[in-house]
Amino acid sequence: MKNHLNYRIAKTKVMQWLVYLLAFLTVLPLVFILIYIVKAAIGAINWDFIVNIPKPVGEIGGGIANALLGTIIILFFATIIAVPIGILTGVYLSENKTGKLSYWVGMCVDVLQGIPSIVIGIIAYFWLVRPLGSFSAISGSIALAIMMLPIIIRSTEETLKLLPNSLKEAGYALGMPSHRVILRIIIPCGFSGILSGVMLAVARVAGETAPLLFTAFGNPFIETNLGKPMQTLPLLIFNYATSSYEEWQNLAWGASIVLLAMVLSFNLLTKLITRKWKIQL
Amino acid sequence: MKQNEQEIQVLKEDINQMWKMVISQLEKVKHSFLNNDLNLASEVIQTENKVNAFELRVDDDCENYIALYSPVAIDLRLVLSIMKISVTLERIGDYAKGIARHVKEENCASFNTMVIEQLEIERMFDALLSMMTDSFVAFTNESSQHTGKILSKDKEVNEIYHQSIRQLTDYVKVHPEEAHCILMMTILLRNMERIGDHCKNIVEEIVFYLEAKVLKHEGKTE
Amino acid sequence: MENTIIKTVNYSSFFGTHQVVKNVNMEISKNTVTAIMGPSGCGKTTFLRGINRMHELLPDARSEGEILLNGEDVMKTHPILVRQKVGMVFQRPNPFPNLSIAENVVAGYQLNGIKLSKSEKEQLVEESLTNVALWKEVKDVLSKKGTFLSGGQQQRLCIARAIAMKPSVLLFDEPTSALDPISTASVEELFMKLKQDYSLVIVTHNMQQAARVSDKTAFFMMGELVEFSDTKKMFLNPEKEETQNYITGRFS
Repeated sequence: MKNHLNYRIAKTKVMQWLVYLLAFLTVLPLVFILIYIVKAAIGAINWDFIVNIPKPVGEIGGGIANALLGTIIILFFATIIAVPIGILTGVYLSENKTGKLSYWVGMCVDVLQGIPSIVIGIIAYFWLVRPLGSFSAISGSIALAIMMLPIIIRSTEETLKLLPNSLKEAGYALGMPSHRVILRIIIPCGFSGILSGVMLAVARVAGETAPLLFTAFGNPFIETNLGKPMQTLPLLIFNYATSSYEEWQNLAWGASIVLLAMVLSFNLLTKLITRKWKIQL
Repeated sequence: MKQNEQEIQVLKEDINQMWKMVISQLEKVKHSFLNNDLNLASEVIQTENKVNAFELRVDDDCENYIALYSPVAIDLRLVLSIMKISVTLERIGDYAKGIARHVKEENCASFNTMVIEQLEIERMFDALLSMMTDSFVAFTNESSQHTGKILSKDKEVNEIYHQSIRQLTDYVKVHPEEAHCILMMTILLRNMERIGDHCKNIVEEIVFYLEAKVLKHEGKTE
Repeated sequence: MENTIIKTVNYSSFFGTHQVVKNVNMEISKNTVTAIMGPSGCGKTTFLRGINRMHELLPDARSEGEILLNGEDVMKTHPILVRQKVGMVFQRPNPFPNLSIAENVVAGYQLNGIKLSKSEKEQLVEESLTNVALWKEVKDVLSKKGTFLSGGQQQRLCIARAIAMKPSVLLFDEPTSALDPISTASVEELFMKLKQDYSLVIVTHNMQQAARVSDKTAFFMMGELVEFSDTKKMFLNPEKEETQNYITGRFS
């Protein structure tokens, strides 16, 4: 009996160490990537880098100002498009757990989540770029919005599903119509979960390149008109990293670290905000 | 639980009133007997109905209380002891009425007056009244401190009773023509002795209520 | 009857084809506490929820018959209006976790878009909380969230929220089953006070509670109203054998 017990204790220890090891191995690539990028790019980051646009080939210096601004603008409009549609769809799915429409909507969301980003880019190209006649930032925003939708919808739905039914009942019992129960009780109570879903979606698409290839297309200059092509960080990295000019390659490294910093800080911010704003049920 | 406490107050109030009424009956019947007061005797006989009505009321209160409040512990002991005390009080009331009827209906006034002192009837009445009053005080003050004293008074009552019976036995041999009143007196003395027993029962219920101790049917008296 | 506040006429509830409440005819008097008891699944909660039209929020739910509130058929009035006249308190205390205590009390107005002036709001908050014996305990922390109170206090807050709407009837769905005995006692004490201004209907699993707090008790079994009489009579000498079997625990 005692021998068997010792065997089991030993087995537990082995499994524990195995788990620690594998976790460590998982983190390792991330650490390497970070170290490598930081080493390669840290020299390039300075104030000039942020506020200048890339210089023509051959000249020293330049920066990523147009790409930075473009990323921010395109993400902003993508968020504006995706959030209302996403949240309301999430609300619909959480309110109607049975029913044919609910089932098919859920199915579509799952399918949408699996569509490759480049396919979304191509579709946006055919739907928006061709008819409108030119590449544009707005078509890029729309493509990104389509990618954000499944994330926002699912996280909204899951958050709201976790809210106890008694909250809604309390609202109804006070004589509230359905739309008020949702807008004034359900959504505010699930706010932190919904918000984190939105922020995660933004962080996710911030680094997408493929959908922007045929939509926003890229622009060597600063552009604020949504109807015109615009530069973004991933596009810049994509184009400049494989070029044969060393200055452009440096810019690509610098842009990489900026993009990485953006995404990481956004994720951290999400964690902080959800913890602070979480409504204790 | 305020509602529960209110109900208990009502119960206590009702049994207290019944108690006071029976004590007053006993006092009246004492005076009526010692002074051969026929009017007072009539009063006692009429008031007996009220005592019976009280018993029904207390019964009703207790039934309702048990049904609606499911009492436990001290509350349960209270209601159980109140139920038994009310029955006992009603019996004491009956005996008091019996004594009053004796005064009113039997023509033994002269005989009674003659033997009162010898048989120590007044002392017996006083012992009974003291038992009744002391037990009432013990119940309302919720103190079982002096229950020993009350129980010893019952011994006193029993002694007087046995003594009186011996004296009457001797007397009837010498005065057989007064047999009727002598027999009536024996019955009266017996009734008073029963009142004493009932008072003792009441004290036992009070001790059960306050201390959850069962003194009933114990050989010893304290 | 002049004193009747609720009268149900052949009222039945269904889930699809399954009938859960069968032809209930009941009259509830003003300013009384009526307890509804019965074994699990007997339809008492479904019946209660029919009174403020919460029943129909469940899938496949429907009702037949009439429920007259002060003479008007509740089934023919808009449910929102009905629910503003009939308050409900649930088994699990459910104050809104995103609102403060004061905001919770006036939630029925604010979340419905009904405007209240600052002084009206303050008065309503103080009045309602006083009526549930909570004012002294929370008057200094009115801006804290409702979920930081104890279970009994939360439940009283929910009652305050319901009475702030000035309903004529208050419905309670097993209001103390999630509370400890002391909180339960504080809520039960409240019923005695509340019945002076409102008419209360309480569904309870706890027979002793029904015996303690109610004036009249209804016994439901398998969807039917088996007996409805004065509580004293119900617990001393019920008319129907099924009632007696239930309250003596012989019911299997």
